[in-house]
Amino acid sequence: MTDILARRTLEKPAGEQAIEDLHGILDQLWLDAAFVPALDQMAFTTAVIEAASNVVQHGVPEAGCDLLLGVDLTVATGRLRAVISEIGAAPLDPVPDLDGPPPASDPDALLEDYDESGRGLSMIRALVTTVTVERQGDTNVWVLSRDSGAGN
Amino acid sequence: MEFTTQDKGRYTEVSASGRLNMVAAPKLREVINEVVSGGGKRIVVNLADTSFMDSSGLGALIGCLKLARQSGGDLRIAAVQPQVNMVLELTSMHRVLTPHATPEEAFLND
Repeated sequence: MTDILARRTLEKPAGEQAIEDLHGILDQLWLDAAFVPALDQMAFTTAVIEAASNVVQHGVPEAGCDLLLGVDLTVATGRLRAVISEIGAAPLDPVPDLDGPPPASDPDALLEDYDESGRGLSMIRALVTTVTVERQGDTNVWVLSRDSGAGN
Repeated sequence: MEFTTQDKGRYTEVSASGRLNMVAAPKLREVINEVVSGGGKRIVVNLADTSFMDSSGLGALIGCLKLARQSGGDLRIAAVQPQVNMVLELTSMHRVLTPHATPEEAFLND
């Protein structure tokens, strides 16, 4: 069992305020876990906000349900982990393509082809060590994990 | 996020203070749209006080760049902080939105 060195959680209606609050609890997490290298904090924060924003922007509630955003952030020795839950959501169809297409090589094409959602998913993949998305009951669960020098 | 707009003579500087995320992105589009509508051709977005940017914020900057170019102008960015630079490089967008060290330098050679 891995010892948890710092933890923060949030559960809110999946709206803009949830994203602002999530920034706040990430700031608090890094106050508790200041030993995590700055690059790891930056990369993990960016991936978590991208995944949560994806829930807020693209999550579809099941009929009769309110969509909630649940976040469980933990810092353990050598690992940062985020469980991001789309509670009361319809199943993801299709399941997001986390790899996405590589960026175009030509600057003009880069500008024309910029796809916010696809780029956000590619960023998550690049910023964490592992990312999974699965269905659990009425919830779509994203698990992001980044290896880190934290607590070593 | 707070935006302030200043006419600097050779260019218009838009300073963005706070987090450029999915909440702030539409506000940036509004601010730049006003500058372009008011005849502003050369726009520098000063990111010295922008501590965070995600793909929504980057998408807004890209949209603003396209808008400025469509109206015969250009938009450049300056004073980017480490997290913003990381996002630009991860997405390869530093090749179309090349960061300048300071707002004054952004249009220095034009």
